Amino acid sequence: MTVTGAEAMVKCLEAEGINLVFGYPGVAIAPFYEGLYNSGIEHVLVRQEQNAGHAASGYARMSRKPAVCVVTSGPGATNLITALATAYADSIPLIAISGQVSSKLLGRDVFQEADMRGATRSFVKHSYLVKDPDDIPRVFKEAFYIASTGRKGPVLIDIPMDVQQAELRKQFHYPEGVIIRGYKPEIKINPIQLKRVINLLDQAEKPLICAGGGVILGNGEQVIREFCEKFNIPLVHTMMGMGVLPKKHPLNFGMLGNNGKPYANKAVGRADLLLVVGARIADRAIPKPEKLTRRAIIHIDIDTAEIGKNVGPTIPLVGDLSEIFAMMLDGDISRKEDSWIEELEEIKTSTVDTRVFSDRLVDPNLMVQKLSEKLDDDAVYVADVGQNQLWSADNYIMKEGRFMTTGGMGTMGYSIPAAIGAKLVAPEKQTVAVIGDGAFQMAMNELSTMRNNNVDLRILLVRNRYLGLVREYQHKNYDSHYEGVKLSDWPDYGKIAEAYGLTYNECASNDELDEKLNWFLDGEGARILVCDVDSENNVK
Amino acid sequence: MKGIFSVLVENRDGVLSAVSGLFARRGFNIDTLAVGETDNHEISSMTITSTGDQRTIDQIEKQLNKNVDVIKVRRLSDAKSVCLEMMLIKVAYNLSNRTPLIEFCQVMGAKVMKVAPKYLLIEYHDEPENVEDFIKAMKGYGIIEIQRTGTIAMEK
Repeated sequence: MTVTGAEAMVKCLEAEGINLVFGYPGVAIAPFYEGLYNSGIEHVLVRQEQNAGHAASGYARMSRKPAVCVVTSGPGATNLITALATAYADSIPLIAISGQVSSKLLGRDVFQEADMRGATRSFVKHSYLVKDPDDIPRVFKEAFYIASTGRKGPVLIDIPMDVQQAELRKQFHYPEGVIIRGYKPEIKINPIQLKRVINLLDQAEKPLICAGGGVILGNGEQVIREFCEKFNIPLVHTMMGMGVLPKKHPLNFGMLGNNGKPYANKAVGRADLLLVVGARIADRAIPKPEKLTRRAIIHIDIDTAEIGKNVGPTIPLVGDLSEIFAMMLDGDISRKEDSWIEELEEIKTSTVDTRVFSDRLVDPNLMVQKLSEKLDDDAVYVADVGQNQLWSADNYIMKEGRFMTTGGMGTMGYSIPAAIGAKLVAPEKQTVAVIGDGAFQMAMNELSTMRNNNVDLRILLVRNRYLGLVREYQHKNYDSHYEGVKLSDWPDYGKIAEAYGLTYNECASNDELDEKLNWFLDGEGARILVCDVDSENNVK
Repeated sequence: MKGIFSVLVENRDGVLSAVSGLFARRGFNIDTLAVGETDNHEISSMTITSTGDQRTIDQIEKQLNKNVDVIKVRRLSDAKSVCLEMMLIKVAYNLSNRTPLIEFCQVMGAKVMKVAPKYLLIEYHDEPENVEDFIKAMKGYGIIEIQRTGTIAMEK
């Protein structure tokens, strides 16, 4: 039996175990939608293509598998690019399928033609333009393989309409393996290098692990926890590495960096050996990496190109971190003295939180603290971008759940679609999006996606009527010349909530926080809680 | 320092722009680029030369290796490889300097491909530094046009 290209695409997704895709159709992808119509795959219609990508990102992070988003050609496809760049920066495995004009018309600038391969080149791990329907099974198999192995990331498949419509000449067969000459992600861990690392760890008196988002992407939380506990080695983390250890774990010394805890940064300064795992050491975590070079640094990453990119010289160890840590667990490493942990504990307690909570409106630090205390242990917390992200990262009390945000690209409006994606994977888990009033207005079109799919998402809207983080920057760097940052009093969020059939509440003081947060988390049904924050309340 | 990369890539549309785009995106300059099919028509070979500090050259190699369409990257050193460049050059002449110009070409092993009323079209190939020297020598006569292939290189 022959199948069309579109039917083959659907069969490929089925073979990969995909049962849900996020998308926004158009004519150039219509044959594929006909294939979806005849399949068991669920389609979630978003309200703008970028959010198909973000929702798939949330879905992929939660399911720890590649997720799929689908768009049409031209503007549909270009709208997706920001989401691809976001996923690429955070190494999230996505399969992006874009319709394209007929292959015979390629390059003629016909209606809704955009060169997606060219346009997305620096934002995807790999891309395909499929010109022959018989290539579809191989291309899909390769795309899923590339997205989900090595350093994960988005892969684009651009398929002209006539290729979707044409029949395969051969019988449909989904390949079992892939042969890509230029892509060999299975890295054999260098035994000599591993031995060297184990020796250094054995000799070190004050080792410290710095864990990044790669630990979560590499499913390494459990093994790193065992490693820390077995050898009594403390850990700090980047923003993307939040959740490697629970916040209250005795070996967790918090988030490092510009926006992190001072004691975490001091711990980096005191350590005699730094073990960087799955982290880029980007500017936000370590603004002056050259200062680190006086101590020994071991850098463990799946991506060879990360080694030495921002910090050096280092002792590199390239490979799958779960494998590496499993091997190190059996290594001959001395258990570290409690005195090192006590030293860090002392720094931590001496840099006590001297912040006084603002009594004007709601203090956002207190808000995040109280919210995280009330959340279930396995709750999913999605922080948007801006002051709310920094308040969240600083104050969130991570338990055994997930903390998601876009650390690399910092794309406003990420949290709502990403949280929708995450909630669709695990409907039983409490899921909260924390978002500012600027980003909310970039993403509020997705409230209808949320309603249409009965997604019980709780949205905590932090309102200060400004683009707060830019305002704060103008305050510090431009003599408080606030230009282009005032959002004003509109819209009326109560009416927005009503328009989408959501329950709604507001909180305007610290005293009300307990009651309002209880309302926010209790019961059934998506809802919005607006917390009013004073615009003068800055992160720092 | 100078980096010479010999890169085997999939011979497909878009691969050249993917590789050159990779340089551009990271702010690495390409000094020369030469591409051609290998004996296997599915695979092309590129010779790319670039200048930068050690870290830049290291990053280029790593980023090239990450590209799915790149099959193999070899970093060549001047000492252990043969580097060649070919050039076509139009050089103006007059009756008084025509003979020394032709003699110079003979000494250098350059081939005069065409004698036009006002210029000679010369083909010259040699190690890249010698090509530079040849160009310098031609400046005295007056260069009308130059086409260079860029460096091609192979490990000895």
